[in-house]
Amino acid sequence: MNLTNPAALLWLLLAVPLVVFYVLKFRLRRVPVSTVLFWRQIFDEKKPRSLWQRLRHLVSLLVQLVLLGFMISALTEPFFSGESLNRRRVILVLDTSAGMAAADVAPNRFAVAREKSHEVIKGLRFRDEMAIVEAGVPPRVACGLTGHARTLREALDAIVPADGPATLTDAVALARRLADGSDTETRVVVVTDGCGDQLPKLLADEEKKPVEKRLNLTVIRVGERTANVGITRLQVRRSPVDPVGYETLLEVQNFADEPAGDIRLVLTLNGKTLDVIPLTLKPGEVFAKVIESTTADGGALAAELSAIKDGKETPYADALAADNAATAFLPKREKIPVHLHAPKNNLFLQMVLAANPLVTLTTSRELPKDTPAATIKVYHVETPAVIPPGNVLIVEPGKDCNLYTLGATIPLAMVVKQDKESSILAHVRLDNVVFPDARTLTFLPGEVKPQVLLTSVGGEPLLTLFDRPEGKVVVLTGDLDKGELPFRTAFPILATNTLGLFVGGAGELRESLATGSVTALTLPPGECELRGPDGSVRKLAATTGKTTLGPFDRVGLWTVTGPAGTVVETFAVNLMSKAASDLRPADLPAAVTNPADAGLVGGYGGRPVWWYLVASAFALAGLEWYLYQRRWIS
Amino acid sequence: MLFDSEFLKKLEYLSLISKRVFRGSLLAQRRTMQMGSGIEFADHRTYYPGDDFRAIDWNLFARHNELLLKRFQEEEDLHVYFLLDCSQSMAFGAPPKFDFARQVAAALAYIALADLDRIGVTAFADDIVADFPLTRGKGRILALLKFLESVEPRGVDTDLERVVSGFLHRAQRPGLVVVVSDLYDPKGFERGFDLLRHRKYEPHVIQVFDRYEKEPEGMLGDVEMWDVESGSSRKVTVTEKNLRTYRQLFNEFQEKVQAYCNRYGLGCTRTSTEVTFDDLILRMMRAAGAVK
Repeated sequence: MNLTNPAALLWLLLAVPLVVFYVLKFRLRRVPVSTVLFWRQIFDEKKPRSLWQRLRHLVSLLVQLVLLGFMISALTEPFFSGESLNRRRVILVLDTSAGMAAADVAPNRFAVAREKSHEVIKGLRFRDEMAIVEAGVPPRVACGLTGHARTLREALDAIVPADGPATLTDAVALARRLADGSDTETRVVVVTDGCGDQLPKLLADEEKKPVEKRLNLTVIRVGERTANVGITRLQVRRSPVDPVGYETLLEVQNFADEPAGDIRLVLTLNGKTLDVIPLTLKPGEVFAKVIESTTADGGALAAELSAIKDGKETPYADALAADNAATAFLPKREKIPVHLHAPKNNLFLQMVLAANPLVTLTTSRELPKDTPAATIKVYHVETPAVIPPGNVLIVEPGKDCNLYTLGATIPLAMVVKQDKESSILAHVRLDNVVFPDARTLTFLPGEVKPQVLLTSVGGEPLLTLFDRPEGKVVVLTGDLDKGELPFRTAFPILATNTLGLFVGGAGELRESLATGSVTALTLPPGECELRGPDGSVRKLAATTGKTTLGPFDRVGLWTVTGPAGTVVETFAVNLMSKAASDLRPADLPAAVTNPADAGLVGGYGGRPVWWYLVASAFALAGLEWYLYQRRWIS
Repeated sequence: MLFDSEFLKKLEYLSLISKRVFRGSLLAQRRTMQMGSGIEFADHRTYYPGDDFRAIDWNLFARHNELLLKRFQEEEDLHVYFLLDCSQSMAFGAPPKFDFARQVAAALAYIALADLDRIGVTAFADDIVADFPLTRGKGRILALLKFLESVEPRGVDTDLERVVSGFLHRAQRPGLVVVVSDLYDPKGFERGFDLLRHRKYEPHVIQVFDRYEKEPEGMLGDVEMWDVESGSSRKVTVTEKNLRTYRQLFNEFQEKVQAYCNRYGLGCTRTSTEVTFDDLILRMMRAAGAVK
């Protein structure tokens, strides 16, 4: 044992006056009594203990000297050489994935994990250091290396469970970086439910590494093997044929070794029930279904697992609630003003446009002098010499303009090449389709580079896109009345796609996101905020171009608001992780359920020697006071 | 001043009460068993020559033709002896037990004198230390008070047997013996009372104690215990347990005194100095059934 402050031993001189005062003995209090008749009986009975009567004065002195010794020893701050040689470094990785919210153990897995983490902190010895890594989305260091137990406890208590997927691999990698470069023994303690395949893979990878590069990894497992039914997918997409229609893909899986029955999958839009599907799932069975529906107003589409209990519909009660509901957001579809200029009054083209429920169509036979820029202009045959600003669709061009000049007529122009990446041609296959009397186009030089989407056998452009700064222009050559295109369903789709391209992403569906994922968004100028489903608000940095949002750690609807509080975008975030929904832990033979079993609790309680000396001194003082009150010592 | 005018007023008041309702009860104003020239008929006996024929019951002779003498109980003064403990232990307490004892003795003596009884006072400690001879008449009260005032606590250990032996060696008539003491006799108080009883005296015990004797205070801890009677001291450590044992022993002692008196039909009054002497006298009267 070594002393940090040996000079404090000088305080031992205090023992001298203590002994001197004791030897001198103070005069006892004199108490007169009328008779010693009774007292004699009392004290004469104690004669056999007279030796103790003499000794107890000495014991009193000894107690005081020991008390003084304890205090002075504490002042010297002694420490064992083993303390500095065998000091440990513990990096605690706490799993905060969605599965940790499972309530198969009371109150839930995360609370138990936190309790066990507290035990690990409690088991730290003096001079040990510990760091806490939160295995959330993304993993982060909740507390750097420190030996201060209160700081560690506060950091641990500040961690809240998230709805994200397990990120143990990344978290352990982070722990490894913390451990690197240290000459002290470092233990990485992972407190998790052991679900998912990350941990077994991680352990297997460690086994493959050379011994000197392996992490001293300890897994403390919480939770039991528990059945769970969860919605593993909820995605919506626009109907390819109906501008206000959408398709919903639903997937529900039974993560259990037993069948699950009496489940109702309820689909609602803005609280109104759209569909109820009764489910009975075999062990491990996946139920998947696509549901078609329409809405122009949009809103929150929710799928929820429920059960009938006592005649009432109640949320389905299983161990994990986060995957019992999923949401998707359907944006409202705005009306599209379209003006059709057709000198020959092409009824087919007019009906194709009018068939789109989102289109507000106006027509003219004379070239309109002034059309609002926001209005999509469709020219059939006759075009102005200078294409006006805004989005323009030119069908069967009959005149030259500032973008191109018309050339010879191609009697039978067959499509041989299609730009499959173009959104105009999404869900459209026009290979080998003949465009009769198509006119060759000669593009005029300029800043705008044309993008040919359909090419004929002779390499002539049949469908061309001009992406001007003031608006897009799509040119489709060929005589509609003579060709087969009007007889194909591809044409209305092509028209819808073109209108969709003109209005941009407005009203388009954004896919539901999985927790832990990120997405990109172009923010409007000014201060924007990201509001979470739990009411939390995060300021977004003002940037030009796209901003990356996420990773999202809570299921529900997230909203991006602009400077005036206007809603810029709404995201639906769902768990959608089979690994997180599966509450059956992987087989981990090396895992323990108790920190004590891993040798993380023990030693001498993590306190310095001087603390015990002071505690002993106080205990001794209390004992002396007790003995004095009982007159066992004087 | 121990016996001030207030004290004397109280004596007078007690005397009046005792005359009105208490006559002969407290100190048992009684007839002697000696036959004599009294007026109260006792019994008959056979006439023998030489007897005073004036005592022959002629009515009986006329009826039964038998000479029988009428016998009468002779009235005598009651002798009341006060044995006053003046050992050092009696000086203990606040107020001192000795002052209280002297007041009680004076009050009872006054009542007796007022009742034309003879009283004598013997102060004792380890032996008889002072005497107030037998006297009679209310006028002697001042002398008695003066005597009582002159007595001081003294002596070493109370020795009641020795005191009683000395008391009995005097040629005097048996009577009532009022012992006013704390009875802290290392050899035991019983032997002294036994001697009195065997000599046809009628002992009445007035045991006096101080409240601190019953419930000691300030004793806990390391103390030098000083016996005021013997003057010896002893260093002891008094614990709560010791105090509990002490209280138990003290109560047992009190019960022992009461049990002794009950066994032999002796009058017994145990009192703390917290009560005043006149309250004690009235209490004794109530116990005798004279006052309610």
